[in-house]
Amino acid sequence: MKISYDWLKEFVDLTISPEELAHCFNQIGLMVESVEKIDGDTVYEIETYANRPDTLGHLGVAREIATLLDLPLKTKNWPLVELSQVTSDFIDIQIMDSQLCPRYCGLVVKGVKVGPSPDWLRKRIEAVGLRPINNVVDVSNYVCFSLGQPIHTFDLNKLGGARIIVRKARKGETIRTLEGSLVELSPEMLVIADETRPVAIAGVIGGEESGITEETSDVFIESANFDPVSIRLTAKKLGLSTDASYRFERGVDINAAPLAATMAASLLCAFGGKVSKGLLDVYPNQKKSRTVPLRLKRIAELLGVEIPAEFVVKTLTGLGLKLKEHKKNVWAVEIPSFRVDLEREADLIEEIARFYGYDKIPSEVTPVKSFELPSDRKREKIWRLKEVLFHHGFDEVINFSFADPEKEKIWQTGRQPIQLQNPISSRSSILRTSLLPGLIENAVWNFNREAEGVHIFEVGNVYFWVEDDVHEENLCLGILTTGLREPQTWNEPKKETDFFILKGAIEDLFCYLGFDSLSFEPVDHPFFESGQALKILLKNDPVGHLGLLKSEIARSYELAKPVFCAEIDLSMLLQRQPKPFSFKPIPKFPGTSRDLSFLVDENICYQEIHRQLQRLNVPYLEGFEIYDRFQGKSIPPGKVSFSVRFFFRHQTRTLQAEEVDRAMLDITSQLKSSLKIQLR
Amino acid sequence: MSTLQDKIKEYRQLFTDLASKVKEAKEAEELRQLFLGRKKGHLTLLFEELKNLPLEEKKAAGKALNEFKEEIQKLMTELEQKCQTRKPERLIDDLTQPGRKLYWGSPHPITLFQREIERIFISMGFSVEEGPEIETDYYNFEALNFPPHHPARDSWDTLYINDKLLLRTHTSPVQIRVMEKKKPPIRIIIPGKVFRRETPDPTHLPMFYQVEGLVVDKGITFAHLKGTLEYFIKALFGEKIKLRFRPSFFPFTEPSAEVDIECIVCHGQDPHCRVCGGSGWKEILGAGMVDPQVFKNVNIDPEKYSGWAFGLGIDRMAMFAFQIPEIRYFYENDLRFLRQFNRK
Ligand SMILES: [Zn+2]
Repeated sequence: MKISYDWLKEFVDLTISPEELAHCFNQIGLMVESVEKIDGDTVYEIETYANRPDTLGHLGVAREIATLLDLPLKTKNWPLVELSQVTSDFIDIQIMDSQLCPRYCGLVVKGVKVGPSPDWLRKRIEAVGLRPINNVVDVSNYVCFSLGQPIHTFDLNKLGGARIIVRKARKGETIRTLEGSLVELSPEMLVIADETRPVAIAGVIGGEESGITEETSDVFIESANFDPVSIRLTAKKLGLSTDASYRFERGVDINAAPLAATMAASLLCAFGGKVSKGLLDVYPNQKKSRTVPLRLKRIAELLGVEIPAEFVVKTLTGLGLKLKEHKKNVWAVEIPSFRVDLEREADLIEEIARFYGYDKIPSEVTPVKSFELPSDRKREKIWRLKEVLFHHGFDEVINFSFADPEKEKIWQTGRQPIQLQNPISSRSSILRTSLLPGLIENAVWNFNREAEGVHIFEVGNVYFWVEDDVHEENLCLGILTTGLREPQTWNEPKKETDFFILKGAIEDLFCYLGFDSLSFEPVDHPFFESGQALKILLKNDPVGHLGLLKSEIARSYELAKPVFCAEIDLSMLLQRQPKPFSFKPIPKFPGTSRDLSFLVDENICYQEIHRQLQRLNVPYLEGFEIYDRFQGKSIPPGKVSFSVRFFFRHQTRTLQAEEVDRAMLDITSQLKSSLKIQLR
Repeated sequence: MSTLQDKIKEYRQLFTDLASKVKEAKEAEELRQLFLGRKKGHLTLLFEELKNLPLEEKKAAGKALNEFKEEIQKLMTELEQKCQTRKPERLIDDLTQPGRKLYWGSPHPITLFQREIERIFISMGFSVEEGPEIETDYYNFEALNFPPHHPARDSWDTLYINDKLLLRTHTSPVQIRVMEKKKPPIRIIIPGKVFRRETPDPTHLPMFYQVEGLVVDKGITFAHLKGTLEYFIKALFGEKIKLRFRPSFFPFTEPSAEVDIECIVCHGQDPHCRVCGGSGWKEILGAGMVDPQVFKNVNIDPEKYSGWAFGLGIDRMAMFAFQIPEIRYFYENDLRFLRQFNRK
């Protein structure tokens, strides 16, 4: 909202400079966004709030400043040159829906000479950022920006019949607006109509046919009040936001209408206008004023500072509120109709705080009476998991939660995507069902910008419908690695990333989260090349998958390099409790180790061997380490050789060689039966 | 065939000759290997020979050999000490070459900044709460005192899923969810992703991060809000940062405030400052006392309890702190941007 320094002076005798005024605005929360010097005037762009329609006119802003500076608010008389006829001789007003139009005032001004506005008026209109049009239109804008009450002027002679009807639109009715577009009206919209057709969309915009032109001489002034929600819905539906609708949807002072009509008529008298006698004022259900209780004690309780009663009374009175003290320092406060925002004690306390000055309220520590133990360690775990990935050289990314439905189709995530009703664009019209498409886009973006390798991860939600009416938000971890990796030593060449870099990071992060029952299983997955993907299992529950991205998918992003990626369901993972940690004693007696190389059928995978080795039940066996896997000329076809080192220890004495020999025999025989091994 | 004693004599001579030529530690080491080397050292071989001697000779020869070994060892030690003043044995050509590096990934700047904010509040006894990103109109608006069809909703332009569901426009619905479940005292912060139907420009995107704070207890005042936020901002931007509280409007707080901090780029000196537009102030957070209607909506008696809340945009704050000109950098995920935060 633009506020002019000179215009404010019409309502209050300012004693401060325009610079000082800017500070005053800020103090009371009318934030100055910019200041302009126009033609000797100072114009402020002020941030106004949805609950303060009274500040959408200079009068309301002047009232605030007058209160702050303890100055009186000026009132002005609006003399009229009157006709002998009364208003109802010219026109009749009929409100069909007093809910949507609680008040309607009208005056007729005859013999107005339409033409350019005088300089003072042009200056005011330009100050608020409008273009002067003609004296009649400019007067109505002047009234609107003075009082915050929008008014509308009709060419009286273009109204069909001597009647204004405020009614809902009929199905199929249309109107050409002052902006020149033909608008189709719907039955919930309130219109101003004459006997034959709508002549204005109530509180939003006037019709072209009944508008003021150079030829107009007789003007009908409408100064009415409309229901905020109805105006808002109409303006939204029509995609029209006007100065009028902006004010009405915030709630215009029900008692401003008569003054606004009189003010406009009075101003039109300067252009030869003569005004019909007696304001037509249709106001069927008079609104009662609100009374709100206020306790001085409560002010201190909420603000944390004692504010003197005199200050409270002075401030609220200045703002137009009436205080009746019925107990010491307890008031019944009558709220004026222009303050639609003041309904509760807290609202009044805010007014007092604003004028008292937030800077004068002390700063204190918020007291703590108890501490709470964190309910889960989810956030710590997520950070820990990120740290593992940083150590493995993965950078963290954050992508939008939106996705392109066309692109997501390529992935066949198998999840029912959630569509947005009003997306920003068709390419971001669904919510992502997987993190991987975003990571691929990041890889492409960076390869196009000189990157040689991209190793990234993201922790974030994916979203999908589980059933028709049931949706799910799932916290996931996506990891991707493609291209070259930085070497540890400066003169070593960079190396291509591979599957095991990804798998190693995943194994580590499960390990650092305290889960040791991780396993993998080959899987066919739509994201990955066949035979090149693993399912990740915790105990026996799948928690994710990893593999080599299907080349068709990579190609659709114009990526030629192999891409390894993984997606892990964190919401599932973080719910699980890892094994509690406890210390194991450090061994006191030396251990010993023995190596064993054996052949197994080549179909037997590493993980199976590892599993069987873990299952060994042999005395003194402390652990093992598989250190070689070999297949080649020296190995019979269809076989693969594994080498394992076994560690033995006795807790209370040194082991003897024969005991270890016996244990090794035991191991060999157990493995012969479980893995059908052949010794080399 | 010479006796062992003869050989000792020869080797003693040889040692003296060679030792006289030794200048560097490396050469001394070679000499030590030649005589005392564990497999092929002269002395080691002599001890091998000793094993084959007949028993009667063994004793005397063994004594002589051991004396010789001690002698050599002593001489070697002296010789090595002489060479000590020089360099160690294995020499590095160029010590100025870089050390071996671990290539660590970078945290995302939003994560970094969010953690920093969490850290400060956790140190003040706050706990961290989270909530869903897909919300209902009730939690996102109505329970927070936004009436249906109220223009106050205009500043929270919303992405809808259907008539019931939307993408939360702020983290405030979590306030409601927590207050529904828990009785005061409440002392929480709520970080998270939020969504608005904003056309992308340098300072707006349809998705960004917020942190929200909420305190509810008996006797909580606006002064507590001020004191806590002042501490928080100083912890984040340094002791000297100036800040101001000014009145504002939010449907869910009453009284409401906005907090500006001094422009750390120009300190109000540059009328064309890109960060503050010349005002010298940067708006960074909104706050206020919890609106009594919000309390009523969650069955907390506003006569008994009061509370304060604040909310801030992590992206905007990080942009200000790191002087990042455009918000989109956060979500483009350009490695040349992200990797800079490795050092933060
Ligand atoms: Zn600046």
